[in-house]
Amino acid sequence: MSAVVAKNFKPVEAVRAEALPWLADAAALRADSAPQWIKALRDTATESFTATALPTLGWEGWQYTNLRPLLEGDFTYSPAPVAPAGLPAPLLADSYRIVLVNGQLQKSLCTLPEGATLTALMDLAAAEEELITAGDLGTSPFVALNTAYMRDGFVLDIPKGADIDKPIEILYWHQAARDAAPAVYPRCLIRLGENSGMTVLERHAGTGAAFSNHYAGIVLKPAARLRLYRFIDENDGLCLFGRTVVRSQKNSVFEGFSCVSGVAAGRQEFRLQLLDPAISSSISGVYMLKGRQSHDFSILADHFEPDGTSEQHFKGVIDDQSRSVFQGKIHVHRPAQKTDGYQSHHALLLSGEAEACAKPELEIYADDVKCSHGATAGMLDTSALFYMQSRGIPLEQARALLIQSFLGETLERVSDDAVRALYAARIAAWLGAETAEAA
Amino acid sequence: MLKIENLHATVDGREVLKGLTLEINSGEVHAIMGPNGSGKSTLSYVLAGRDGYDVTEGKITFMGHDIGEMAPEERAALGIFLAFQYPVEIPGVTTTTFLKTAVNALRKAHGAAEISPVDFLKLQKEKTAQLGMDADFLKRGVNVGFSGGEKKRNEVLQLAMLQPKLAILDETDSGLDIDALKVVAAGVNALRAEDRSFLIITHYQRLLNYIKPDVVHVLAKGKIQRTGGPELALELEENGYADFTGEAA
Repeated sequence: MSAVVAKNFKPVEAVRAEALPWLADAAALRADSAPQWIKALRDTATESFTATALPTLGWEGWQYTNLRPLLEGDFTYSPAPVAPAGLPAPLLADSYRIVLVNGQLQKSLCTLPEGATLTALMDLAAAEEELITAGDLGTSPFVALNTAYMRDGFVLDIPKGADIDKPIEILYWHQAARDAAPAVYPRCLIRLGENSGMTVLERHAGTGAAFSNHYAGIVLKPAARLRLYRFIDENDGLCLFGRTVVRSQKNSVFEGFSCVSGVAAGRQEFRLQLLDPAISSSISGVYMLKGRQSHDFSILADHFEPDGTSEQHFKGVIDDQSRSVFQGKIHVHRPAQKTDGYQSHHALLLSGEAEACAKPELEIYADDVKCSHGATAGMLDTSALFYMQSRGIPLEQARALLIQSFLGETLERVSDDAVRALYAARIAAWLGAETAEAA
Repeated sequence: MLKIENLHATVDGREVLKGLTLEINSGEVHAIMGPNGSGKSTLSYVLAGRDGYDVTEGKITFMGHDIGEMAPEERAALGIFLAFQYPVEIPGVTTTTFLKTAVNALRKAHGAAEISPVDFLKLQKEKTAQLGMDADFLKRGVNVGFSGGEKKRNEVLQLAMLQPKLAILDETDSGLDIDALKVVAAGVNALRAEDRSFLIITHYQRLLNYIKPDVVHVLAKGKIQRTGGPELALELEENGYADFTGEAA
């Protein structure tokens, strides 16, 4: 460890010089009408980020993550209102909708189920605990940066006992603002009251280059049930860095899934915090990368109390010179007896130059637990391809069929049929584009 | 239908076929028998167009086309079918999906419209029943968890569904108990037709008791050493291959 620290040691002034350009646009917020608690958080975060700047390759957990497209890009934060243009149709026709454009909540475009309340962040007079306890800013520079720009976002509250009848789609849309590629820092909190249930479709989409640094807090009160289905549209200009923290209370169930169709550079962090006994909390996903795209799933399942179950299952295909990273950790604290923790990551390499990095970790302090992890990386099975070709199936179609079945297995984790079909269509669309490019 | 002239072929650079000549006419059933390592499986892969099996000399003509450079799927579209000695497992792709994709790929290659889902299911049901296969197989991954006999039956099912002009059966009898052998042979016999030929590759004469060949060839050292009628198979059963390999039996 000491060698790593020494290698990356930089004088305070040098780090500060690296950090300040990222904070420059925040000057526009200084005189705004934000409530005092937001201003105080911004100051703390600004100080923290100034002392760390963005992580470098020497940081634990950041050795494999590609930041180059972000560092080489030119992104501008602007608090000026933006007029939405070119918003996509809802993923599911029959759904509620929350729309953010460049991080800014578009209340006039939102539709909500009865009983749910949606509050813009700036309208919160007092701090909400879940918005403050974002983790140690010093070890999470992206969260610090997000907090330094704290302004855009919302709190969504689902009342106790409510069973929301239709999915709520949360659309994070980005578009060029006054010809500049936007930097956006939305911060959201979704709170499900006791014994309530809801399905959320979270879509990240837009036109052109953008830097999206989002932070989402999710709180599941006892026996609450949330299905969170994330969709990240393919965009060669998108740098997407975000953290989602799921704080689960007794007997609650969280089912998360994320599908990435390709980004310039991305990192999705999920922190599953199983705070009470008898919680189920899972996050799975698929990714498809090509060209020089790169993406990183970094997951931490934190079991604090007994009888919890967490699952992490990921699969991805990578072509050309793309790179995928999976860092998954299951941390079982001493009281968390009878924990079940499962984790898998399988990468399919379509090119000899693609790169998959996997770092599965188990850290277990309880003595009566069941935990497992598995990671593989491989190429397409050539004998299966020949078998299909010998039956008349063209090579490209045979490849697509094998890839589809490889990723399709992970889609079994999605319990909602309509959503599973949406994900399957995304995989098919990606494969269709691949085949067209190859031809 | 199939004409092989002076075929030389290498596997990973090693010459295995050394001047093989063979002609199969429409509607004929030919058997190729030979000892291990004589080049029987190599011949089947060369005909089907597997990567790594390279023709270095000679010519293969099928239905008037020189197929030496064709991709496997193009050969399949012309009507060549290989029943594998070791059928490949494809986890995640159900047998039904596999069959439907193959049927439609061939139809597309012939300029025909896709088969309707109803017609496909009807055809699949009929052929599955003929082979005494449990419908449950169709929902499982291709050959995944199948026994040896089930895998061979699945090969014959594909043969029945795809209706090729030339079916090459590579050691289809290996690993089959007598009941399974009878079912497989009956499936093949049901497909015999004037415009369909068979090339049966086998080590043992046993299969030929159930599928009667018109012509029997002995393949050894990469060449056809002798050609005769069905009686040749019986003779081989009696005397072994020593006459052709130059080794003691």
